[in-house]
Amino acid sequence: MTAPSRRLVLGCVAVTALACGDIAAPSRSDLYEWRLQAPSVPGPGLDTLSFHWGQDDLPVRVWVEDAEGLPGYMAAAIDVWESAFLYREFQATLVTDSAGADVIVLAGAPASAVRGRRLHSALAPECTGATDLDVDVEHRQLRLPIRVFVASSLPDDPGIDRCLALTSIHELGHALGIFAHSPNPEDIMFADPDVALPSARDQRTAETAYHTLPTLEAVRLEPLE
Amino acid sequence: MLRPILIPALLLAAGTGVLHAQTDYYARVGAVGANTLVRDAIGDEIRVRQSIAPMVALGASLPFSPGYRAGLEATLASGGFDAEQDGVGETDLGSLRTASLLLGLDGPISSSLRWRAGVGGVLYWPSEERGIFLEGGPVRFLAGAGVDWRRPVLASWDLMASARYDFHRFTTDELERRGFAQAQGVSRISLSVGLARGIR
Repeated sequence: MTAPSRRLVLGCVAVTALACGDIAAPSRSDLYEWRLQAPSVPGPGLDTLSFHWGQDDLPVRVWVEDAEGLPGYMAAAIDVWESAFLYREFQATLVTDSAGADVIVLAGAPASAVRGRRLHSALAPECTGATDLDVDVEHRQLRLPIRVFVASSLPDDPGIDRCLALTSIHELGHALGIFAHSPNPEDIMFADPDVALPSARDQRTAETAYHTLPTLEAVRLEPLE
Repeated sequence: MLRPILIPALLLAAGTGVLHAQTDYYARVGAVGANTLVRDAIGDEIRVRQSIAPMVALGASLPFSPGYRAGLEATLASGGFDAEQDGVGETDLGSLRTASLLLGLDGPISSSLRWRAGVGGVLYWPSEERGIFLEGGPVRFLAGAGVDWRRPVLASWDLMASARYDFHRFTTDELERRGFAQAQGVSRISLSVGLARGIR
């Protein structure tokens, strides 16, 4: 075979391979543990608890107390997390009636007594956040609503807007199903986050959480009218 | 990317006054179907697919040698798209419009059949900049071919039926940003009927 013929054949093979190849999905191995480890009741060991909102639950209804600008921060946080997904796995909307809300966001520090588990986070000087999860004793049900608390500690501090914004994103991250903290300071789900937006690792973790069978089912104690 | 198409298009448009008598115009309506846009794997395989979409096509061509013509064909289709995952089902991702412009040649097969082939571009125009289209819809290089069947129905009008196949490589800025490599080969097939100003 002559050199020009060889080049022609190789060219045709390359074009054919290029035309037939499929898109290659990225590896999503670089993520962190999002599930909550909780002592088994009764019995030894730990239960791994995971949760995500199902397609039938969407859009998740979020009621936000109208204080400290929280509705605006939470609307932005919803937009940020919706954008973290490629296939509309998570969607949320702000509602005006707290009675039917799946997530309730309150301004201020949480009460000391908590019915379920409390995920503390964002313990910055300017503001703090917490998310309360009411999980039944058998670790099968997540009772709604999830309660989120965002409190400004230094309302006049110049960094308060940024702190409230990233804390809102962080706490909504817990409410959408990332129940654990990232060990990486570059992630929004780090225990004391200092970044403004979810990292690629946060996105991969959220995506993986939404494509993993959850152990908890969301239930409402009082059915909606 | 569309510059190689737009310049001849403008020249063609400018020349239509002079060459009006020889210009062939047509309009068709029909439907277009495409195969998978994106294959992903998060646990199970996820496939993003477009629904079969209604489309309109407009075109014009000029003769450049006996029996052969060169022209432009534009199509616009609007349909839905969804993500399908084994064991989960389908998730509606909204509506998606595609517009294509093809610079092509056509020639005779028989008295009522003509072949057509061309290259151009396809633009994806989603209803919302979300998900795989978070950073907007892409414009991709497109190659296509097909056949046209014509039958005179009026003094200067032909009934026209067309079948088209085209191929392009699909990806988006958002998919690339997230580490998707290469691009997905997308084949589209359309069937349409319409009217053409007959050139006798």
